[in-house]
Amino acid sequence: MEGRHGQKKEKVESPELLKARQDREAVLVREYCSLKDSLKNIMNSKKRDNDALRVTTLLLRKSPDYYTIWNVRRIILQEGFLDKADDEAVDKIYNGELEFVQENLKLNPKSYWMWNHRRWCLEHMKQPHWDRELAMVSKFLELDARNFHGWDYRRYIIRQLDLKDRNATERVLERAQSEFDFTAKKISQNFSNYSAWHNRSTLLIKLSQDMTEEERQAAADNEFDLIKNAIYTDPEDQSAWLYDLWLIGKEERSISVLGATVISFHPLEVVVAFDETVKLCNPFTVSTMLDHVAVPLQGEWKATGSDSSMGSIWIFQQAPGAEYGPTVEIVIFPDDVCGVRSGSRLTSAVCFEAETLEQDFSNISGRLNRLAIGQNLMCDVSKRIGPVPEPDGTMETQRTKSKFLVTSLTTSNSLKDRVTLLDREIAVVRELMELEPDSKWPIQILSTLLSELRETVSIHSAQAKTIDDECIELQEKLISIDPLRQERYEDRRTQLVFDRETLHLIKDSKRFPEIEFADEQPKDLDLSMRGLTHIPISSYLMHLHTLNLDSNAITSTRFLRNLLNVRHLNLSNNLIEQLEGLQHAPSLEFLLLENNMIAKWEDVVAGFVFWHEGKLGRTGAQVKVLLGGNPVVENEGGEYVLEKRWEDVGEVGVEIQWKTEELRLQEEALMGAEGPVGVGNTHADGSRRVSTTTVEFDAGTSH
Amino acid sequence: MSVLNNSRPAVDGATSDLLMDLHVKYIQALDTKKNDLEYWLTEHLRVNGLYWGATALHILGKPEALDQDQIVEYLVKCQHENGGFGGHIDHDPHILSTLSAVQVLITYDRLDAINVDKVVDYIVSLQNEDGSFSGDSWGETDTRFIFCAINCLSLLKRLDDKRLNLKKTIDYIVQCRNFDGGFGSSPGGESHAAQVYVCVGTLTILNALHHVDADQLGWWLSERQLKNGGLNGRPEKLEDVCYSWWVLSSLSMLKRAHWIDANKLTQFILEAQDSETGGIADRSGNIPDVFHTNFGICGLSLLRYPGLVPVDPVYCMPRHVIQRIGLTDKH
Repeated sequence: MEGRHGQKKEKVESPELLKARQDREAVLVREYCSLKDSLKNIMNSKKRDNDALRVTTLLLRKSPDYYTIWNVRRIILQEGFLDKADDEAVDKIYNGELEFVQENLKLNPKSYWMWNHRRWCLEHMKQPHWDRELAMVSKFLELDARNFHGWDYRRYIIRQLDLKDRNATERVLERAQSEFDFTAKKISQNFSNYSAWHNRSTLLIKLSQDMTEEERQAAADNEFDLIKNAIYTDPEDQSAWLYDLWLIGKEERSISVLGATVISFHPLEVVVAFDETVKLCNPFTVSTMLDHVAVPLQGEWKATGSDSSMGSIWIFQQAPGAEYGPTVEIVIFPDDVCGVRSGSRLTSAVCFEAETLEQDFSNISGRLNRLAIGQNLMCDVSKRIGPVPEPDGTMETQRTKSKFLVTSLTTSNSLKDRVTLLDREIAVVRELMELEPDSKWPIQILSTLLSELRETVSIHSAQAKTIDDECIELQEKLISIDPLRQERYEDRRTQLVFDRETLHLIKDSKRFPEIEFADEQPKDLDLSMRGLTHIPISSYLMHLHTLNLDSNAITSTRFLRNLLNVRHLNLSNNLIEQLEGLQHAPSLEFLLLENNMIAKWEDVVAGFVFWHEGKLGRTGAQVKVLLGGNPVVENEGGEYVLEKRWEDVGEVGVEIQWKTEELRLQEEALMGAEGPVGVGNTHADGSRRVSTTTVEFDAGTSH
Repeated sequence: MSVLNNSRPAVDGATSDLLMDLHVKYIQALDTKKNDLEYWLTEHLRVNGLYWGATALHILGKPEALDQDQIVEYLVKCQHENGGFGGHIDHDPHILSTLSAVQVLITYDRLDAINVDKVVDYIVSLQNEDGSFSGDSWGETDTRFIFCAINCLSLLKRLDDKRLNLKKTIDYIVQCRNFDGGFGSSPGGESHAAQVYVCVGTLTILNALHHVDADQLGWWLSERQLKNGGLNGRPEKLEDVCYSWWVLSSLSMLKRAHWIDANKLTQFILEAQDSETGGIADRSGNIPDVFHTNFGICGLSLLRYPGLVPVDPVYCMPRHVIQRIGLTDKH
């Protein structure tokens, strides 16, 4: 940490006092500068004696963070003293240094360099007194129980002692137990000692490694008692709550593969949808039968969107010239993907098989990520099969309920144990909430525990619905009592509402708790006026043709990258400042964006163009965008409606046209007659253009 | 791009405004305070101070307020034979001052003035077997130094140096992750907002942010905001202006900057201004310094305070500078 901390500004001094202070300061400056000069002489003359050492002592007393002097001091000690001393004398010199540091630490307990010098001494001593150090740091932590240098140093000493005892496991465990007891002592002195809770978490993991199941249970109960004590003492103190959350643990989230679909045969393109954003670690295996032999099919996997290395929808495109036979098989092994949410993973291999010969190709053409494709984009030709052999040839065994994350104490493979634990802890929090109805920590912990409980039941169960409804209510309560973090609760509420509203798009997989696309996918979804701040899982919406998001609080359109089929989208009355992701919504024809916060043409254009392999690209489709009520329309002195057409205007320019209110009304009438799909076909011929502007688009600012 | 919707700060009559001109004068005057003992006692921070001052001035939209040639000339004198920069002329090289020097030179677009290969050699020489980096040849390690090293190499476009093992660096950072989702200074070290910034920053630069549980860490970070709007660095500690940067930039990288109250934080920072001398202190009523002045102003820039130049949440440099050198894909 640099700079001044906690230094109060003093009242304005009288001229006399100011003068006196300046005189005193001038003397100090002269003294300090002459010491620095002496140091320079010492360095130049390579003097390594007591005088030289004394100069560093004086300087460090005044400026303990002047790190170069610590380095100089070590060189003087090494060359002038230590190199010539016997073992006994060596330790005496180091002990002198330890005293020097100790004396200065009292004045500057937060100086990194001083703690550093202390370690250097101990690491070079023949007989370092680690126990004495431990006593020293215990005393130090009595003076300031939260000093992280002190705690770091304490852990360092323990590591050194453990290293010495690396062949005596018992001693190491005893020491861990004693450190564990030390944290209990610190916590009992002050429940808010987060440093102690933190250290306790690391020690508990260590101690529980050799425990029997029963011992672990007892140890866990002991911790829950301690937590209960703390939260009843002060329900607003976050230390114990955060420890509680960790102890209960989070269920490991399994990544689900929602489905796979062939979207084009020439070239072959296959879409795989996940229920969360994943990173590709290895390309998924694609193979085909040629002459009754399975051979790999060459091609490339890319996520939709501008960042093609991460996404929830992945598209495979066959390499030019590659051939495929009557069936194509896609296998995704657990190691092929890693979740962007920490800790989530694919728990078993998933396999898809597509029959490629019996299809009528006549309606399907074009390349998905460049061009909108005609109707029936999603032909459902794939089916799930499994289980499949692991790469080493062994068959995967039926998966049991997943393990629980993070804690070692409550880890269990038993679903029943998990539910019992959650039920018990939920009861504890509910009891406290009755006493403290307006305390935010019990409410947010209850909401988290309920969400954990929901992970143990089917998403379509009545219990899941009850939990979701209660959690939504809890978020609303949190919004009212903790306005500082209102938007965090709104984001959480959005997730819960979105889950509830999209329940019919997904179903439980046979591989519980995984999920997959429901068999019937509706074409329309109305999510207007739901208070949504974002779209949590946009891959769910992959099949929709019409989506209504009117009157929410959505800030970003990035989710559009996954709406492969959407033609008609209503985003009016939201909080969007910039269009993003449209270039990857190839089917989009009509976008309502009225009453948002878009202020610049560049922020409109940015939605339609993308930077690809050093070139500026853009979608080939024509999209009609309504922008009324956005600052951009007023800022540009333009009219109510914008129609955007793709004209060939060079690589870094996009032509934008907009029209009069009169024309808009005419077209709306036309639209009413033709239905929404016809909207994309309205023409803006030369005579209808009222004004035209060309926006120069700087690709560097878009991504 | 941060997702601070609805968060244009309320700077209406009743509340204080950012004293932009006064802060410019405050920073310009820093090198004239040779009668103050403090000036001499902070000599080891001179290069860091230049970075804080120059960055604050750029964010205030006054890049010309310091003499660029004089700065470059000075920095060149701080570079050592081994490539590292000291905190001042004749001070030993250290990764902390090396990063600051490179940041200032890139901000002024004057990397031509130094030997870049040697800087890279110096940083590479500080990588340890376990993937971490030492601060200097004396060997102290800390996640701060990892960030300095990775940040600096990224600015110099030299992360592809074959001598580096970045996979181990990522593994080491992951080992520093704690029960609360935050990060400490070393494996087992308590979570601290500034250490969270350096670890999340390192993972962002190295495209490994998937090791962070963004919801859990975002929760922990948002709980740093206290009733008065200020942010602390650890639970149950005092608020401080510099955490406006460490917490807010981390939340920005996690795309959750809106999880705290921007208006209240803006007010807290503005109240820590010294309306007589200029400069920003750690909190209202205390003595200002250039460190808090910079992180206060950069925090306000992330909060989209009107009239400020946008700052990059990873590199803590003007966003246009980061765009100029082509590093815009990181967040």
